[in-house]
Amino acid sequence: MPQPQLADSISNLDRTPVLEARGLTRRFGGLIAVNNVSFSVNEGEIFGLIGPNGAGKTTLFNLVTGLIHPSNGQMLYQGDEISKLRPHQIAKKGIARTFQNIRLFADLSALENVMIAQHIHTKSGVFTGVLGLPPAPREEQKTRSRAFELLELVGLSDRADEKASNFPYGDQRRLEIARALALEPSVLLLDEPAAGMNPNEKQQLSDFIRQIRQQFNLTILLIEHHVPLVMGLCDRIAVLNFGQLIAIGNPADVKSDQAVIEAYLGTD
Amino acid sequence: MNLTVFLQNVLNGLSIGSIYAIFALGYTLVFSILGIINFAHGAVFTLGAYFTYMLMGNAFGFNGLLANLALPIRLPFVLALFFGSIAAGLVSVLIERLAFCPLRRKKADSLLTVVSSLGVAVVIVNLIQYLVGAEIYTFPPDTYGTLPPAINFGTEANPIPIRSVQVVIFVVSGVIVSLLTYLINATKYGKAMRAVAEDPTTASLLGIDPDRFIVLTFFVSGFLGGLAGTLVGSSVSIAGPYFGIGFGLKGLAVIVLGGLGSIPGAVVGGLTIGLVEAFVPGDYSAYKDAVAFGILFIMLLVRPQGLLGRSLVQKV
Amino acid sequence: MNDFVSTYGFLFVSMILGAMLGLSLYLPLMAGQLSLASPGFYALGGYVAAILSTKVFQVKEPFPIALLLLEMLIAGIICGLLGVIVGVPALRLRGIYLAIATIAFVEILRVLALNLDVTGGAVGIFGIPQPFQSPIEYLWIVLPLLLISMAFVYRLEKIRVGRAFIAIREDELAADSMGINPTYYKALAFTLGAILAGVVGAISAHFLNTWNARQGTFDASIIYLTFVLIGGSRTFLGPVLGGMVFTALPEILRAIADTPGLPVWLAQFLRDGRLIIFGLLIVIGTRFFPQGLVTPQLLKRRSRSQANR
Repeated sequence: MPQPQLADSISNLDRTPVLEARGLTRRFGGLIAVNNVSFSVNEGEIFGLIGPNGAGKTTLFNLVTGLIHPSNGQMLYQGDEISKLRPHQIAKKGIARTFQNIRLFADLSALENVMIAQHIHTKSGVFTGVLGLPPAPREEQKTRSRAFELLELVGLSDRADEKASNFPYGDQRRLEIARALALEPSVLLLDEPAAGMNPNEKQQLSDFIRQIRQQFNLTILLIEHHVPLVMGLCDRIAVLNFGQLIAIGNPADVKSDQAVIEAYLGTD
Repeated sequence: MNLTVFLQNVLNGLSIGSIYAIFALGYTLVFSILGIINFAHGAVFTLGAYFTYMLMGNAFGFNGLLANLALPIRLPFVLALFFGSIAAGLVSVLIERLAFCPLRRKKADSLLTVVSSLGVAVVIVNLIQYLVGAEIYTFPPDTYGTLPPAINFGTEANPIPIRSVQVVIFVVSGVIVSLLTYLINATKYGKAMRAVAEDPTTASLLGIDPDRFIVLTFFVSGFLGGLAGTLVGSSVSIAGPYFGIGFGLKGLAVIVLGGLGSIPGAVVGGLTIGLVEAFVPGDYSAYKDAVAFGILFIMLLVRPQGLLGRSLVQKV
Repeated sequence: MNDFVSTYGFLFVSMILGAMLGLSLYLPLMAGQLSLASPGFYALGGYVAAILSTKVFQVKEPFPIALLLLEMLIAGIICGLLGVIVGVPALRLRGIYLAIATIAFVEILRVLALNLDVTGGAVGIFGIPQPFQSPIEYLWIVLPLLLISMAFVYRLEKIRVGRAFIAIREDELAADSMGINPTYYKALAFTLGAILAGVVGAISAHFLNTWNARQGTFDASIIYLTFVLIGGSRTFLGPVLGGMVFTALPEILRAIADTPGLPVWLAQFLRDGRLIIFGLLIVIGTRFFPQGLVTPQLLKRRSRSQANR
């Protein structure tokens, strides 16, 4: 029987954990959505989070990004506690995300969506902005061209001025990734990025995720239902069931883990 | 403060507080079912008072389109109160059909519906002014029949006189609140209403027509508003078409204090504000209104869900 | 010409003041915040000017323009500070809760104004000195101010801060996750609106010559809200046009009522029932024009069709 925990701690020796959850727990009334979950994510990893519906995956993402706060336990980013910070403070530290049910600024153009996400990397205020005093004009120029670059990266630059809500589903997901990348994060959280895509698109997405990890030096956490995609893409995988972490390790080990088979894969 | 003054303040506070409660119940019923504050509720309150005044056969003044008009019927107060409140309830239903329903069908932003209800309030208030002028109408002194002007709640030696009108108000309010509590907790209507408030989609799957209950809720809400309007109007006076607007704003303080959408909250909130106002010292009585709004403001900052409301959990 | 100016001078200035009050409500709405606090700040700004000019400066008429500008500045600063003090805690509230909190704020200010000595109690403050000979000359002040505020908001919609406002309006949680501090930007939008309302109040106090507690009421809140919601809540031109048209509406109705040949009852209704019409317009507007009459799409379509010509 393989020992994922041991293998995990050995590989930890030569890499620093970027994210670390320590006994993370979140209750909603009587329900425990996330129950005493501990894990760490290493720099440069693609870390998959899987589990049946309602296992607490999105709740975990919300805990990492500060949309909700843990009832118990801690979330650490590069060794600093972030569990008490608000979403925008966490974003500023370098953690960006996409949403399971796509939360683009629907009425705004693709370009504006990406420009908005560069907020933390610009600083012009009301008066410099309105009067067009330095650094506003240069910042504005830079924000715009950077947004174009990112749209180009996801293949949407030719429709930059179109309203976000007019894009087809798959393109909205891509646009959301471009928006998250505009934050220049070191950690990127993708909540079901392949949902609603066909197998071909899924393969492309998989390649794309590898590409952006390389290009932007990212650590990536992703929630995904499509098991083959996760298995092929992730360096390590954590499995949640009823809010509890039931397995963590490399894809092969997780795949053969008895508890996982029972809880999740067996039902597939 | 001696005991007599204290008791008098308590009884006064409970009396006005129970009107606040009835009025606020109307607000809160609609809020609990639609999640919208109906700003026209204050205007319906005003209308209720005018309706009762009219049904008793009292004449209007010499301003407005209906100058000097008096109905040929002279209902006794209790009947006029009843039919006046029913008329107010019907107006409330009309408001629902014209200003709420179309927006609900379009699934419009709820703030837009709030604005629409403000528009209705503006229409009603100014329509009243257009029809019967802006003057103050006082109910005739024999409105309450042969009741003595005050009832002594103390002893011969230590009298604690309370205006009988206020006692009547308190009793009527108690009856209304008990009836409503019964209606909501123990009848089929109440259960269906709560189901619609909880989740309209599921309710309609269960065979409850949400629209019918919304209409019914507006009727009850308008009835309570009109009733409160008559009680205030008959115990003090109808202070012109704008009379309900200030009262309506104070009703906001009541429902926020008690918790938006909470029925016991409206009662607790109403009595609390009534009592607090009754204890504002005479020298500062001009600041009475500011007290209610001060409480409202602080409550919103400290505990926006109110005393008895459910906590506001937002969905991520 | 002279006749025309003296008849309509007052109206023109009022229309411009209305446009600016519309803008003062539009600013918090840019960040998605329905605030009804503008009349409160408008009243406060007016009292600042009324008190300074009648009790502090005590100069002979014509009242120096420099002092008027100074009053506007002071009113803006005071309203801005109060905007921050009230806004930061109140803006944690959303939607209807915020609207209620701002209604409470306006009512508290009104009761204070009605009872304090310094505001002249129920009577208010009379004989506020005039910097100009006739009402129309106020255009020298209000027209540049309107142009500046319009340019300000126009630019604001295109820069980083404005984008942050709009992002919060579209989806507060998503904006928060993109590194935008919602509390800060909501309070900023609220405060900008408060400053503008205060400055407009300072001018209005002189313009109206008298100032009392009737200036900042719940009714006024509804009227300004109409400017924005019927004018258009998605572009700054909406509240500007809304403010102008709705301020002029009573005059327009009166003019229509004076058309010969109109039935007496209709003429009378147009004259005395203008607020009924006002209310009906609100109800109809929310139903048929949820984004108001002037929408970004409308403006885009226009500019496109002109480009094609």
